[in-house]
Amino acid sequence: MTTRIFGSGIKRREDPRLITGRATYSDDIRLPGMLHMVVVRSELAHARLVKVDTSRAAALPGVVAVFTGHDVAMNTPCAWLIPDSGLKVPPHPVLATDRVRYVGDGIAIVLAETRYLAEDAAGAIHVEYEELPAVVNPEEATRDGAPQLFDDVPHNIAFRWIMNPNPEGLKQAFDSADLVIKERIVQQRLLPTAMEPRACAAQWNAGTQELTIWVTSQNPHIHRFILSGMTGVPEHKLRIIAPEVGGGFGSKIPVYPDEALAGWAAMQLNRPVRWSETRSENYITTIHGRDHVEYVEMALKNDGTVLALKGTVYAGMGAYISTAGPGIPTILHGLMYSGAYNIAHVYCESIGALTNTTPTDAYRGAGRPEATFLVERLMEKAANALNMDPVAFRRKNLLPKFENHTVATGLIYDSGDYEPALQKALAAVDYDSFRREQAAAREQGRYLGIGVTTYTEICGLGPSQVAGAIGFQGGLWESAIIRVSPAGKVQALMGISPHGQGEETTFAQLISEELGFPVEDIEIVHGDTNMTPMGWGTYGSRTTPVAGAALVKAARKMKEKAKAMAAHLLEAAVEDIDYDDGKFFVKGSPDKFKSIQEITLMATLAWSLPPGMDPGMEESQFYDPPNFVYPFGTHIAIVEVDPQTGQVTLKRYVAVDDCGPQINPLIVSGQIHGGIVQGVAQALFEGVVYDDHGQLLTGSMMDYTLPRADMFPTFELDHTVTPSPHHPIGIKGVGETGTIASTPTVYNAVMDALRPFNLDDIPMPLTPARVWAAIHGHSNGH
Amino acid sequence: MEITGSYLFHGDQQSVWNILMNPDAIASAIPGVKELVPLENEAHAWRAEAKIGFSAISGTYGGFIHMSEINAPTSYRLDVKGEGQQSLINGHAVMTLLFLPDTHQTQVTWVAEAAISGKIARIGQRVIKAAASFLSRKFFNGLAQQLNPAAVLEDDSAPDGPIP
Repeated sequence: MTTRIFGSGIKRREDPRLITGRATYSDDIRLPGMLHMVVVRSELAHARLVKVDTSRAAALPGVVAVFTGHDVAMNTPCAWLIPDSGLKVPPHPVLATDRVRYVGDGIAIVLAETRYLAEDAAGAIHVEYEELPAVVNPEEATRDGAPQLFDDVPHNIAFRWIMNPNPEGLKQAFDSADLVIKERIVQQRLLPTAMEPRACAAQWNAGTQELTIWVTSQNPHIHRFILSGMTGVPEHKLRIIAPEVGGGFGSKIPVYPDEALAGWAAMQLNRPVRWSETRSENYITTIHGRDHVEYVEMALKNDGTVLALKGTVYAGMGAYISTAGPGIPTILHGLMYSGAYNIAHVYCESIGALTNTTPTDAYRGAGRPEATFLVERLMEKAANALNMDPVAFRRKNLLPKFENHTVATGLIYDSGDYEPALQKALAAVDYDSFRREQAAAREQGRYLGIGVTTYTEICGLGPSQVAGAIGFQGGLWESAIIRVSPAGKVQALMGISPHGQGEETTFAQLISEELGFPVEDIEIVHGDTNMTPMGWGTYGSRTTPVAGAALVKAARKMKEKAKAMAAHLLEAAVEDIDYDDGKFFVKGSPDKFKSIQEITLMATLAWSLPPGMDPGMEESQFYDPPNFVYPFGTHIAIVEVDPQTGQVTLKRYVAVDDCGPQINPLIVSGQIHGGIVQGVAQALFEGVVYDDHGQLLTGSMMDYTLPRADMFPTFELDHTVTPSPHHPIGIKGVGETGTIASTPTVYNAVMDALRPFNLDDIPMPLTPARVWAAIHGHSNGH
Repeated sequence: MEITGSYLFHGDQQSVWNILMNPDAIASAIPGVKELVPLENEAHAWRAEAKIGFSAISGTYGGFIHMSEINAPTSYRLDVKGEGQQSLINGHAVMTLLFLPDTHQTQVTWVAEAAISGKIARIGQRVIKAAASFLSRKFFNGLAQQLNPAAVLEDDSAPDGPIP
């Protein structure tokens, strides 16, 4: 009997230790003689540092050292240097020396015997500031007369990236349009809020000259690459360990000053150092997401044909350019302006503006949620303007079934069959009868609305050659080593490092599927640069599509070896060997088999090997994808808005996603659930608020609304299966689809409910106060 | 952030003015004040240290108070600069006195503008107005006690201790 381990929704093997307090996170690392580091941070958004008086702090008992920016000269680099954009990356010192540029900018570090002593000493450091005017809005930052963050970055413009593949065609499309829809969209700033805040521990071995840093990282090998440059410790002497990492959503991609400082201080003092941020520190120093002000336009024919789409984006970069910051509102944003549609002409101008705020970088979806939102919002408004049903309007422009289709942005979508997913989703909500129900409800003064999004997105990042062409300062391949012990127990050493995505389960399923080892005999080893081969990290929904492919390649190579060994043991020809569920046998004689464990033992003992075969059972493979992958689907939300209170109730949420064949449907559902929650939260609940002086007003969980389970109905999930033609097992990424699709789905549903009021767009999040104010004709603070 | 408020004293305008100008009276009325020391080289200016019990921002705060635009017995301006608990507070207030002959009361009205930075801005903004009004009522009740213990007009039933 064949066990179909591929496609089976087994429970996540890692969860028991993660949810019973038996997992080791960075903050759990304890070493003898360990010092506690606290960072003194700027209280002002923009100021000259007149004086930093550390004398009182340094004299306190238990304080071992106090350092300022004058003691340490390290800069935090940017690793995504977008070409042809005039990109300027101003220096980002790990501690400021003369000027601070956002609330949270590091000024000094204190190292003390306990955390309490370190915190008290940090409070005893007196900083004298000369306050400077601040700017927080990315559009305002580029205007004449705006406060300047850096003398050599005029108008605070760090880059200006233009995607204009066909200027003539674009102009013609707008000139010949019957209708142009215009909108100003504000993609509000969001706080990634991983459950585990950032933390690190550092240990210097003066004897071997080796530095070990445990850090909350989504990409330990990138951390090693960058931290080696910052600390001067060569890569072969620098070990990065990302133990358990409790979520990241992009916020643990960047290399921050804090881990570099901890490593540096451990070397200076020859004592282990630990640091962990508090939640309110997390909110001011860990990267934020989104923060766009967008001017978008869509050109249309009266028959509902979309001719072109144009967007000018002011993207807030924060006070310094974060590790991957410039890639988010450019490559990962503009290139998705075609969406799932046949739009012949597209244009994107993205202006990266420095502001006196926390730096921004990738937050779940990273550029693609913003693109999908503006495409879907314009589609909805266009349908309304043309008095067409929004579904019929989308259908008219949706790409027909394809393989390897080149869209206007120049991307080659790998595969898509959008109609079946749309049909499934429409059937689930019974779209036509909902419209009747909606009309009847309006008669009774009840406001129901429906939002339909047909999306696709780019993920599975990506071909390394493309990475080089778009200025990404790394490769985007992955690697895997499968190592089997004499008794047939498996370790898979992965360059990738998941942080909550469940790959200890799905990767084990892949190995089990290919080689027949039981899942419980397989250990997935990741997160330690000294134990694993090189890999580029978990982001862009790439872990399973890219690293999973490397793993499958290694497993298949191992299977070939096992087959040759089986032929040797069974005294048969390799061509005559068949395989089923971990057993190798001569075709037609399945009872006389050699198990994968027996084969492994004999190959490892190596008493008798076929000519030319190396001993042992270990294979290593690399995988550099030939293209990205493009999952897609249809999401539908049904909402009700109470006009008396402005309260939005999400009544139903249907998601039909296509990520190709699913290794583990339970884990796929989990990814989609979490993604939907985060995307809906942007539409309805979340939003960073700064005051005009650059003070973060949403600095705690009491002030910043996070989604909770009781704000949601049970999601109704379904799927279609369209394999990626270029991928070894046809799979596509699914980590971000929920976030990408759900924000416009819910937003459009609310605006659909409010159509009788004939309102202008309401800025997100659609809080009761804003919705009520819009309905009752008050200014909505846009 | 603008904070406004008013307080009714039982008494004539000059007595109320006198007590508002009396540093010792003020020092004993400011909730949590540990020290109010006149600056040597500047008139109407003090160095202050206060301990505030106020949920996540409890702690000791140090700062300077400076009085100007004194227009006895009608109005004056107060400038306050404080720091502590990874926060900066910069503010000024204009205090105005008005005698109400019918009831023989003096009304003190203040219009204050405060710029708050750092930790208090992040986690205290939500409660700052309520806290300011609570603390100022305690302050004026303290002064009124000294002025005329038998005739404190405003209710002081709010509980002592940290504001949740």
